[in-house]
Amino acid sequence: MSRLDIRPYSCPLTWVKTRIALERLAPGERLEVLLPEGEPLENVPRTAEEEGHLVVSRAPAAAEGPGCWTVVLEKGTPRDAAF
Amino acid sequence: MALSEAEIARYARQLLLPGLGEMGQERLRAARVKVWGAGPLAGPALLYLAEAGVGAVIVDDPGVVGPADRAGWLHGPSDEGKPRLDLALEAVDAANHFVYAEPEGRGPGPTAALICLESPEQARAAARIAFEARLPHVVAEVDGEGGSVTVVPVGGPCFECSYRPGGDRPGQAAGYAAASSLAALELVLLLACLTPEPRGRRLDLLRGHPAARATVRQPGCGCTVGRAP
Repeated sequence: MSRLDIRPYSCPLTWVKTRIALERLAPGERLEVLLPEGEPLENVPRTAEEEGHLVVSRAPAAAEGPGCWTVVLEKGTPRDAAF
Repeated sequence: MALSEAEIARYARQLLLPGLGEMGQERLRAARVKVWGAGPLAGPALLYLAEAGVGAVIVDDPGVVGPADRAGWLHGPSDEGKPRLDLALEAVDAANHFVYAEPEGRGPGPTAALICLESPEQARAAARIAFEARLPHVVAEVDGEGGSVTVVPVGGPCFECSYRPGGDRPGQAAGYAAASSLAALELVLLLACLTPEPRGRRLDLLRGHPAARATVRQPGCGCTVGRAP
């Protein structure tokens, strides 16, 4: 499983980095995302679901530092762009 | 080659557009776009292409800034008499340092073209050249406060197939801005493989609203055998 640490980034780069990491996976593959609580923990999983990915789990990751969480995403089937 | 951290930060919001993503941005970066014209119809497109992150903008314009250029975005009163080419290259360079700003004839040839010439006859001639060179291209035309944009992918009907004479109203600032920006957007969609009409389309700006229709090859047009008339 691939791993991504987005703690150094702020919005919109938190989701941009996550989205690019997901793009590099095949449908069904999983990505473990390390993120801080607050806005990233609220928005990154929600946006992932909106774009057709699956939120497999979310859990505190105290070993990584205070306020750190781990979210596991499973890549969904890409959707067509709408222009 | 994957995008660098600096490029991801530079294009962060664009990378979020539906369907674009890293691959689309890499396609834009790989493109070398020749822009015919550096006057009022080209100004917004030049800036748009630079901001969007195409790999290189190759400018072809022999003119100098005149009073009519004041309707565009690139030129002020103090620029009159200066080469439009130099000012266009400066504007592209200032907009995005990831983009190469080059005069025609320097570096590798283009992979796509954007035609933003105020003269309809010159635009038609440039479109024929782009078609013969098998360059995907977009043609912007202005008509008063409106205009039109024609998208010509490789293998699609040529510009002549959808060309309609008329539109003899002099260009206004709003028309230049709208047609030029829309033309650049259409080229970006084409380069990123996101165009909704892969066989080509024409958008007419009517009272500020773009009306799009697919272009069709006209019977008897020379492009039916892969050559423009």
